[in-house]
Amino acid sequence: MKVTVKLIGPLIYEGGFSERELELPGPMTAAELSAYVKIDQKRPTIITRNGKAAAPADVVKDGDRVVISHIYSGG
Amino acid sequence: MKGWTGYILRVNLTDKTWKKESFTEEFAQKWVGGRGFAAKILFDELKPGIDPLGPENKLVVALGPIAGIPAPNTGKVVVAAKSPLTGFYGDGNLGSRVSDQLRKAGYDALIVEGKADKPVYLNIEDDKVEFLDAAEMWGKGTYHSNEWIYAKYGKNVGVLNIGQAGENKVLYAVIRSLEGRAGGRPGIGAVMGSKMLKAIVVKGTKQIPQHDADLMRKLGVEGLKKARELDQKSGWSKQSTDAVLGWCNEVNGLPVQNMRHTSHPEAYKLDGEHLNDARIATYGCPSCTMHCGITIHDKEGRESELDYENIGMLGPNINVFDLKQVGSLNYLCDDYGLDTISAGAVLGFYGDAIERGAAKGDFKFGDAEKGKTLLWDIATRKGEAGNLLADGALRAAKVYGNNSADYAMQVKGLEMAAYNCKSIPGQALAFGVAAIGGHHREAWIITFELKHSKRESYGPEKAAKVIELQRIRGGLFEMLVACRFPWVEVGYELENYPKFFNAVTGLDWTLENFWTAADRAYSMIKLHYLREFPEVTRKDDYPPAVWFDKSNADTEGPQKGVVLEYDKYDSLLQHYYDQRGYDKRGIPTMETLKKLGLEAEAAAASKTAKLN
Repeated sequence: MKVTVKLIGPLIYEGGFSERELELPGPMTAAELSAYVKIDQKRPTIITRNGKAAAPADVVKDGDRVVISHIYSGG
Repeated sequence: MKGWTGYILRVNLTDKTWKKESFTEEFAQKWVGGRGFAAKILFDELKPGIDPLGPENKLVVALGPIAGIPAPNTGKVVVAAKSPLTGFYGDGNLGSRVSDQLRKAGYDALIVEGKADKPVYLNIEDDKVEFLDAAEMWGKGTYHSNEWIYAKYGKNVGVLNIGQAGENKVLYAVIRSLEGRAGGRPGIGAVMGSKMLKAIVVKGTKQIPQHDADLMRKLGVEGLKKARELDQKSGWSKQSTDAVLGWCNEVNGLPVQNMRHTSHPEAYKLDGEHLNDARIATYGCPSCTMHCGITIHDKEGRESELDYENIGMLGPNINVFDLKQVGSLNYLCDDYGLDTISAGAVLGFYGDAIERGAAKGDFKFGDAEKGKTLLWDIATRKGEAGNLLADGALRAAKVYGNNSADYAMQVKGLEMAAYNCKSIPGQALAFGVAAIGGHHREAWIITFELKHSKRESYGPEKAAKVIELQRIRGGLFEMLVACRFPWVEVGYELENYPKFFNAVTGLDWTLENFWTAADRAYSMIKLHYLREFPEVTRKDDYPPAVWFDKSNADTEGPQKGVVLEYDKYDSLLQHYYDQRGYDKRGIPTMETLKKLGLEAEAAAASKTAKLN
């Protein structure tokens, strides 16, 4: 299953990439995908799937664009 | 009284006099400082209906009880006046050494009255005030003026100054300081210019009175260390505020082409990663733990200091996706003393009005070079377009007609910051009910809407979140006069701020005390509005009509076809009013005003307007 993962802000330096197409080893939730790309799970994040907010337990599907971001507060 | 110096410096430019005035502890505790002081002083001292650019308007520079004391991030100043852009109370904050220098000079606030007969600058040193000739600076940009002052007085003084935009009374001219950028979006720089006041220089040598200076020093040093650690751990400063650009683009919240669109395939060229890659230096305000100003070489090779708001509004909002060109537009705004958010919104509006046939001109979206020319025309009010656009998007729309006000992206006359909220109802409300017009400073709830609510919800939870953040961001931080970033961006605990306050004042306040003070300041600003606009209606708290217009909806992507819905927005607004204790016009009720101890102010407002 292929998904595109986009990291935002400081997560780029934590995950070691900005945007990458990934072949996943199996079905994953949004939270599991975040851990898979080595984002510190203690860090509060917001995950979107295809432009819409995703809950941690939402299952990622083939072809999805998943964006994982630090939680911003609008400056 | 401890914590506050207990004095205000009142300067009159007409007759070149000054006096030191004391204030009571009751006043201090009721209004805290910063925005609270400014809103109360201007309400008491300005008659409704005065010309904001006339000598009867007053400029207030206000500080708070922890301003200028080393702690996270206390090097801020509030500047306020009756706004020439919105027609009622307006304010803003910027970083400046005026924060500690004015307090060390013995004052918690400065009131500037009257008008000089020729360009002057003020030099304040403790109990001495000089009115000096500003001829060498007049007509010059803020970089030149600020450096001229540094060359004369050294870099340890506090400086506030204006550029050509302020001198020419552009209605969104700001006040600048090289010590921390710009503040006073609703034309507070124009008020300074109308008084022929080019700059304020401050040096103080006294001790700021504190109840327990040893405790404050310990808390402040620990706080600075902790806030720095949190920033480094989070990595926030790597991209600063511009990290949010990429996210806004991904979730359809980016201002593109005068907010017609919510994302753009080239927006990534302006994101935090590219800004970080182009970085040549980093700047912050005095006592800053998380420097948010990232400089790059602009198209002409100058050093331009960028953050998200100016990139968002001078970039995608006018379809410029070359970071160096955005840097150039930003540099010019900073030098001329133009507010970057309003400047970007006005250029976007002008491009849109031309495209839609409401205005004539040769500016097109994406034309950065023409944008540069226009910024100079605006700053100097040169030509018909420059002079009109200098009055802001709403006034220009009234001249252009053809329903162009529908896409003048402002609330109450103040252009909105870089978030396109046609499918984000809670943030649209935050703009609608921001105290001084379309500002992002007081409440930003987009991640809350997506993560803890539903994006499409118009429920009471969003009104509650806006109020919660208004109390913190627009209240506590604007009254203490400290930067919100350590708390809002990297999680430095809010509970530290009452500890600082109590250490310097000897009081025993909790956050609840600050919420009451914040509600009081918000109600005070609402009374300013009522007094200036007695025919106020709830429509004044609506965002622009284009956000409700189906024909303006995204035509593809996850928000395809989605815009704000009038009935639902109105119900969300009512949730806000109900939770605030406001009437159906959005004005505090008599009961609310009484609860906040504003009986006298209510009585004053009642002379010219109706309270329920």
